[in-house]
Parts: sequence; C-alpha cells; structure tokens
Amino acid sequence: MDFWLSYATLAAIYVLLGLSTNLLVGIAGIFSVSQAAVFGVGAYIVSYLLMNDLTTFLPAMLVAAAFCVVLNVLVTLPALRVSGDYFVVTSFGIQLLATAIFTNWTAGTGGANGLPGIPPADLFGKTLDTSSDLVMLSVAAMVLGCIAFWLIMRAPFGRLLRAIREDELAVAAAGKNVLRAKVSAAALAGAFAGSAGGLYATFLSFIDPSSFDLDASILLLTMVVVGGARTLAGSIIGPFLLLALPQVLSLIDIPTTIAAAARQLIYGVLLIAFMLFRPQGLAGEKL
Amino acid sequence: MLALQLLFNGLATGCALGVVAVTFSLVYSTTKLFHVAHAGVYTLGGYLAWSLSIHGAPFVVAFLVAIVVCAGVGALIQALLYARLEHRHATHLVILIASLGTLAVMQNIIAAVYSPNILQFSLPWASTVVAGGGSIRLTVIQVLIVVASVAAYGGLMWFAHRTILGKQMRAVASNPFLAEITRLRPRRVHVYVMAIASAVVSVPGVLVPVDLGLQPYNGVTPLLTATIAMIAGGVGSITGAFVLAIAIAELQNLSLLIIPGEWSIGITFFIFLVFMLFRPTGLFAAAR
Amino acid sequence: MRHIGLTAILASMLAVSVARADTIRIGAILPLTGPGALIGTQQMRGIQFAIDQANAKGGVRGNKIEVVFEDNQAKPDQSILSFNKLTDLQHLQVIFTAYSGPSLAMAPLATRKKVLLVNAGAQADKLATASPYLINTLPTIGDEIAVISKYLAGEGKKKAVILYENDAAGISGRDDYVDAFPKVGGTIAAQEPTQFGQTDFRPALLKLADAKPEVMLVSITAALDNMAQQYKQLGLTFTVAGTTFFQDPDVIKDPAAEGFVHTQIRIEAPPELAAEFKAKFGVEMEFFVRQYYNASQILMTAMDKLLADGKPITGENMHDVIFQIRKFQGLIPLEFKTNTATVPLDINMMHDGRDETIKKMNTD
Repeated sequence: MDFWLSYATLAAIYVLLGLSTNLLVGIAGIFSVSQAAVFGVGAYIVSYLLMNDLTTFLPAMLVAAAFCVVLNVLVTLPALRVSGDYFVVTSFGIQLLATAIFTNWTAGTGGANGLPGIPPADLFGKTLDTSSDLVMLSVAAMVLGCIAFWLIMRAPFGRLLRAIREDELAVAAAGKNVLRAKVSAAALAGAFAGSAGGLYATFLSFIDPSSFDLDASILLLTMVVVGGARTLAGSIIGPFLLLALPQVLSLIDIPTTIAAAARQLIYGVLLIAFMLFRPQGLAGEKL
Repeated sequence: MLALQLLFNGLATGCALGVVAVTFSLVYSTTKLFHVAHAGVYTLGGYLAWSLSIHGAPFVVAFLVAIVVCAGVGALIQALLYARLEHRHATHLVILIASLGTLAVMQNIIAAVYSPNILQFSLPWASTVVAGGGSIRLTVIQVLIVVASVAAYGGLMWFAHRTILGKQMRAVASNPFLAEITRLRPRRVHVYVMAIASAVVSVPGVLVPVDLGLQPYNGVTPLLTATIAMIAGGVGSITGAFVLAIAIAELQNLSLLIIPGEWSIGITFFIFLVFMLFRPTGLFAAAR
Repeated sequence: MRHIGLTAILASMLAVSVARADTIRIGAILPLTGPGALIGTQQMRGIQFAIDQANAKGGVRGNKIEVVFEDNQAKPDQSILSFNKLTDLQHLQVIFTAYSGPSLAMAPLATRKKVLLVNAGAQADKLATASPYLINTLPTIGDEIAVISKYLAGEGKKKAVILYENDAAGISGRDDYVDAFPKVGGTIAAQEPTQFGQTDFRPALLKLADAKPEVMLVSITAALDNMAQQYKQLGLTFTVAGTTFFQDPDVIKDPAAEGFVHTQIRIEAPPELAAEFKAKFGVEMEFFVRQYYNASQILMTAMDKLLADGKPITGENMHDVIFQIRKFQGLIPLEFKTNTATVPLDINMMHDGRDETIKKMNTD
C-alpha cells in the first residue's frame, strides 16, 4: 500500500512541476532545462525553514513560492530581451550553476551530503507523516494547482499567452506588452515549481543535489512533451505516465547494470519520436 | 611557479574547448540550430577510438576511424532528423528538444554499451612528461592537444575563407533565403557543415580522453562552456570563439589562485550573464 | 492406535519440514549504474557469490535464499523509493545498502519500519548513529583517519594538505582529517575539493603543492589512478596518504603510486575462495566483493541461529540476534560492540606494483 501511495504522492508533485514546465516551455515557448533547479531551490528553502524551526509548513511554502517567482523573473528577464536561442545557454547555465551551488554551499544546503531529517509537513496543528496523509496533501496541492492553471488559461492573460504563441509579432504590433506576458508566465511557473519543491522535501524527509540536476530537468521536459504541451490534461498525463516507466521497466528483464541508462535512453527516444511524429504529445497542442 | 603551470594547463584545456566552440559555431551560424547533440558526437569519438585502441589498433588508425564515423553520424543527424523537422516547419523549440533527445540517446547508448565507469586509454607515450623550461611540466598529450587544436582552427579558417564549399557555407549563413533562390542548395550545405563540424570536434573528442579518461556524460559541460565562448566571442566569428574559449579556460584555471576550486564553473556562467546583460553581440561579432 | 499416532507424527513432521522449506528473501539496494557502478557491481557479486555458495549446500537450515537487487545509482531519493518498494510490495525485512548518502536517507525509514539495513561499504561518520537498525560491518572513516594520522605523525610528517571529494563520503573524511591531524601534533595548510567523477586533478594538485606540504591527505573514492598519474607527471614528491578507498588494483599496479600509504581494513580471502570467485565471475575478488561476502556470511549466521531457536526472520529479530552473537568469524573476525564493527586495520604502502602491509593496528 505504502508503495502505491508513494507513487501517487510523487506523481502529484510532478504534476505541479509539469504545470510549471508547461507554462514556461509549452505556453511561453521558452526552452527551459532549469526547472529542476527552481524545484530544488523551493525544496531547500522549505527544508531550511522547517529544520531551523523558523516557520510552519504553509508559511514556508509561501516563502519558497515567492522566492522562486522572483528567481524565475530574474532569470528570464535579461535573456528574453536578447533572443530565444540565447536563453537556451542561459537555462543550461543556470541549471549547472544551481547544481554547483547546491553541492558546494555546504552551510546553506548541506552540500553534497544533503539535508537529512526534514520534519514532516504540519497543517493546522496536525502533523502529516503517514503515507495516506502525504498523498492527500499532495493531491490537494495538485488539484489546487490544476484549478489555478485552468483559470489562468481561461482568463484574458491566458488568451494573451496563446496569441503570443501563434504570432508574437502581431501581438506586439497590437500594442500588447509581450515581454511582460512572458515574464509573468515564467513567474507563475516559478511559483508552481517552488511549491512542488516544498512538498517533495517534506515527503522524502531527505534532499540532496542529485534530485535537482540536469537529468531531472530533462525528465520534466519529457513529461511535458509526452503528455502534451499547453494543456492541463497533458500536464497530468505526462508525469503519471513517466513516473510509472521505471516500474514498468523493472518488470521486463533488463540487466540491472544498464537499467538507469536504459531509462534515460527511453526518455531521449520519446523526445525524438514525439517531436518527429506527434509534437502535440498525447493530449496537448503543437509546440 | 604555480601561476605559470596553471597558465599552461589552461592553454591545453582551452585549445580543446576552442575546437568545440568553433565547430559548434560553424553549425549554429550556418543552420541557426542549437545543436546540443554535438556533445554526444564529441563523446562518441572518444569511445570509438578507445574501442579500437584497446583491441590493438594503432592509435592513428583509431583516431582516423573515429573522425570518419563522427562525420557520418553528424551528417545523419542533420539529414534524418533536423532536415525532416525543418521541412515540416517545426519551430526551433521543437528541433532543440529533438536535439536534446538525441543527446540523451547517444550518451545513454554509450553508457549501456561501455558501462558508466571511467575508462582509460593505455598509451604510455601520452603521459610522458615533456619538461618545458624550468619547472613547467606538460605531458605529450597536452602538447598534442594544443598543436592539433590550433591546426584544426587554422584548417577551418582556411576552409571557410578559401574553399568554394566554405564560401557557400558562409553565403548560406548570411542569407538563407537568397541562397535557396540562387540554387546554393542550403539543405545539402547543411549536411556538409554538420559532417565537417562533427569530424573536427572528434579531434578533442579523442585527444582529451587520452589524457583524462572517458565517461559517458562528460560532454555536456564542455559544450555549454563552448557555447558561452561562441556567444561571448561573437556568433559567426571563428576566431572569436576560439580565443574566448582559451580565455575562459585560463580564467577557470587562474581563478584557483584566489577562489576555492569548486566555484570555477560558476565563474564561467557568471561571466556569461555579464555578457548577456552588457554586450550580447559578443566581442568579435561579424559585421551585419 | 500406535499406527495412527506414528502416522500423525510423521505427517506433522513432514508438514513442518515442507512449511520450513520457504525461500528466505532479502533485499539489496546498490549503485548498479552511474559513477558508483564499479563498486556497486563488486558488492552485488559479493552477495551473489555468498548466497549461491550457501544455496548449493542447501541454504540456511534447508531454506534457499533469494536476493532482490534494486539499482539506486547511488542516489538517495531513488533509494527511498526502492526501500519502500522492497518493504511494502515484497515484505523484505533485511536489506543491504551501500554509499553514505543513500544509507543515511534510508536510516529513518529503517527505524520506523524495523527493517535491518546492512552496510558493508559506506563509511561516513554519521552512519554510526543514524539508526539502531543500521549496522555497519566496517569502521567509519573517522576510525581509519585517526589511525593514519597517528602513523604519519609518528613518521614525522606534520605539515599536511587535504584533497577531498565533494560528497558525503569525501567531506566526512575531510572533516575527520581536520579534526584528527591537529590532535597528533600536525597542521593542515590547505584543502582542495574535487567533484565525484572528475578526472582532471592538476589544478587542485598544483594549488595544494604550492603550500609545500610534507603529506597530502586524500579523501576521494573515484578516479584515484588519474590523480596518481597526474601527481607523478607534475613531479610532486610529498607523501600521499589515504584510507581503504586507496585499494584500487589499477592504482596499486601503477608505478606512479609508488610510496602511497593508506590504512587497509584487513579482509582476506583464502586462495581457494578467490580462485572459485575468479572462475565464476572472471575478475579478481576485490575489496568490496569480500566485504559484502563477509556481510552475507554474518546474515546467514544470524538467520541460522534464529531458525534454530524457532523464531521468524524479521528485522527486529535479526537485529537482536546479531547483537546477541556479537562476534562473527567470516572472512574477517569482527565484533559488534556498537552498530559499527571493530575490525583489525593495517597500514599498507604501495611498492613495486604491490600493496604491502608495513604495520598492523586495530580500530579500538
């Protein structure tokens, strides 16, 4: 039972990350391989606050989300001013820089040792540390995130983002501030990713830099690509499917020595295949 | 003297990085594609040479085979993947993701076949020390890397400016639309560019692992640093990319004198951000 | 009447023996891929070898043993997922672990679920107290470092620099050197970190050499041979000292490593055993193979006692019986006074392509 609940909890957390990546890549069209870094920042902030008894869970989450909003804005702003292609390098750079900071800033992040013993989340006085508590918390967060996403997409802001995707020049010519819209999308993406980080930290009770590296960012990209870009359904399907993949793989008799490479290989193949034959993913719109 | 030794080490690393930067720049300025899978080709070259070398082939043969195969792989990626996507008017984002997928596939096939462990060449001549004046100690392979890289740079410069194909490339790069009309066949030029870039990048791709060993996932960081060199040096300038790559490598090495080693990569990306904010067109940008 | 009684007794004995012939299943969460794969594969083989041998002789009290392997790539979060999977879906009560990061991550869960975690490879100091259910069959790195520091001070090497890997194991070693070396009268002049998997040590070596040390204390677990070669290429001459991590066959053979000293957990395999292993797997019986073989023997001894006493094999029972037995005689004699075993340690020096013992010591 615990195992299935773990899977569901993790999937719910990754749906939030999927929404975040979708906002950034699918909707704003900004190639990003640094979402895992933002995820990590959220996780470390919540962990730090909880471990040092500075706040309780909800305020910690808010702080993390706010910080990640600012982070994403700071990161996208200069790059967007120049050219979409340049943001690629910036994104890779941020991811690698973040990993370097997570690994080396031992005082703040525990360094390569990570942070063990993160206290469980507490909500309105009740400590949530059983598997069923955690899955309910994550699913609740996931539902909230999905509703927020759906509302945003239906609001004028969402329509503006869609329009930018279709024809950026026309939108700019129509007098709309394209840059501001993109940065706002990035900001929202930051909020989602940061919150996911906080949930992840309290779920696992231990975090270290290896969960927030480039491979993790590639996984997030794969989730959006496979699930489908720009749609809510895509953001949900992608994570659930891809998190099940390792479990499915373990049923096939792959020699254990190549299991991890096999998994990453499949992600790569999925990316290529979907880009070639189904860029809209399973339930999305064309990238 | 510590600084001098670090300087020379930086020269070796920088020259290798320079070739990666120059070849990446070649692809980018001609095709406008951010070919991240280039890191995969770079890695592949080393492993191919190692396979042959370990089974008794003379190093030169292994080296040449690696170059040829990499050229082929690069051409294939262009012809089968990028060209197809471009034909469907795929956005750059889509092609970029496909390239990332290709990189993941290449790295992981290598990891599955060769195992993720660190592999070493067994070439005793490579680690012989060539004492260079006073207390400076460089190995044969380090010197070879410098020589080969500078030769590669020179070769590419000559190619771009003196050969017909090179001029065609530059024409396609500066105006793809016109190139299409004037029957320069940009598609075919793209394949040639990818083949040449992939062939040349396997020079450091083979030589650097002779010095430092092979790991499947080692290609990404050099590629990223190389792209920074390309952008900082000015897109379209081969010399700019090469020079900046050496500058960055030197900076990373010499920064050790003042800051702890783990932050030297951070410095690189910090510099990049500075360039992005104040001089996005780079230092040697080709006049447009 | 007697007839029926005898039949009844025979039937019940048969039933009991049939019921007893269950497979005992244990788990192992190891880095089978990724940079730790070299070591993880050794560990897996050590376990497999021991279990196969035992099964060939009928298993433990007639019960065959089966090992369920999970790959964690030395990643703590993967380990936790694997741990939950093995304990929830497979109901395993005893699990092998490796690497400090993953072991520390799983420790709280082991305490909560009362599952025995057996570590025969990781050495971070925190492992000693991470969980009552985590037992370490080898000393933590702090113990080894105290020994090598004492030895070095005795040899007159007082000025040191530290080269360490920037991860759980390496940093733990670095902290221990910083703590232990001054205590024996030495000083630490500089330290330089490297990344796990990094193979270019030249800048770090140069920077450390600039401090003009008498000895370089090393706390890295990968790419040791690259380091040795570059040390030689740069013409450096100070002593290089380390712990059991130095025991890498490529390094020992390499003339560049001439004179390297290190503590070595004394664990030998009798020649027939080593030959049998080599015949089966095609490689030498390396350090981690022996460690996990030894740990498997300890587990089987414990299981044997439990079954003899008629008790079920649960994490809690295994934990209790191990501390009951306390002294084990497998490939190495060791004793569990605490969660961490006390073992004999040697000081070895690499000379002429061989790793020779120059002094024998102990970790208490």
